[in-house]
Amino acid sequence: MNYKESKQALLALFILMLLMIVTTLSFGQTTINPDTVCANAIGEQYFVTNTPTSTYNWTVTGGGTLQTGQTTNSITVDWGGVMGLWINAVEVIESNAAGCPGAPILLDVFVLDLSGNAIGPFCPGDPTAGLAGTPIGGTWSGTGVAGNNFDPSVGIGTYMLTYTMAGCTTTINVVVNGGPVTGPIQHF
Amino acid sequence: MIARKILMVLLICSSFIATSQCISNQTSTLTPPPPYSPGQVVTVNYTLGTFTQLNLNWIIAFQINLGAGWTNLQPVISPGNPGGSAGFWMWDLQNTFPSGLNWGPGWRFINTGTTNWGTGSTGPFTMRYNITVAPTCTPDNLSISMNVIGDCLTGGWNNGACCTDPILILYNGTVLPDSIGTSLINHF
Repeated sequence: MNYKESKQALLALFILMLLMIVTTLSFGQTTINPDTVCANAIGEQYFVTNTPTSTYNWTVTGGGTLQTGQTTNSITVDWGGVMGLWINAVEVIESNAAGCPGAPILLDVFVLDLSGNAIGPFCPGDPTAGLAGTPIGGTWSGTGVAGNNFDPSVGIGTYMLTYTMAGCTTTINVVVNGGPVTGPIQHF
Repeated sequence: MIARKILMVLLICSSFIATSQCISNQTSTLTPPPPYSPGQVVTVNYTLGTFTQLNLNWIIAFQINLGAGWTNLQPVISPGNPGGSAGFWMWDLQNTFPSGLNWGPGWRFINTGTTNWGTGSTGPFTMRYNITVAPTCTPDNLSISMNVIGDCLTGGWNNGACCTDPILILYNGTVLPDSIGTSLINHF
């Protein structure tokens, strides 16, 4: 590829990226119903496309508390810690300049509260221990983690293991203790 | 006044059909054309081409009939008085004529020569007014019609049968409420 061809390729790439940015800004990304939030999440933002002459009436249930933005097209919500699927947890009704209400727009919300099983403490040489996260389906990460198991042979120390699912996380601490240091056998 | 009474005698002797209508050649335009949404201002032009003076019934008033969806009726151009009697067309919202006829709003002729008579003009009469679609959430009635009234209906002249002209309907639609198309709820 000569200099001219490279220049054209770079220009094409730039235009493509620009189009992607414009498209994203113009149309946004629609949240799939139901939405998923982490238990006790704070400041979660919900919005609809703004019509400047309209007002918006929001209703939040399912353990959520509307914090800011009532009457506008964008709100923030603090969620509670009760896990489950909350039907119509977020609702908005738009009213136009004449005060005429539109159809309610609804969003179900699944509040996800992760937990992990307590394991350990371990001693050197202990066998690999299973890691169990609730609900199942997430992934474990951290030092000594292999799949859904923890290997105490990683060494003495305290390890923070993380269980992740749908953008939510929880952690457990696992301790691996040192064994006794026994001296050589003496013969009196 | 004398000429009018002489003409009256001649008419009694004639074979003029008493049920003939007095108004003809009516035209109207609405700007902009329908349909109409809340807040829209519409200009109505109306022309009565000819007023036939049945039994020397003179034209005395134009009444504007508006559906409940209209508001803010404003006169723009008053009717002319070509070759008519001394006097002028007055914009008025309501008037009770000597016959008890409750009239208004619209234009009524004030004959400065003989009280309660209309004008001897046979037209044409062209007038213009503005109306506004009231704020609403429902498809309210936006009908527009005109009544042309002769002075034998108002009590100013009673020698002979009055005109039996129908109301002219200029428009017979309803409000097209603004549609409210709220987007789906998005979650950042």
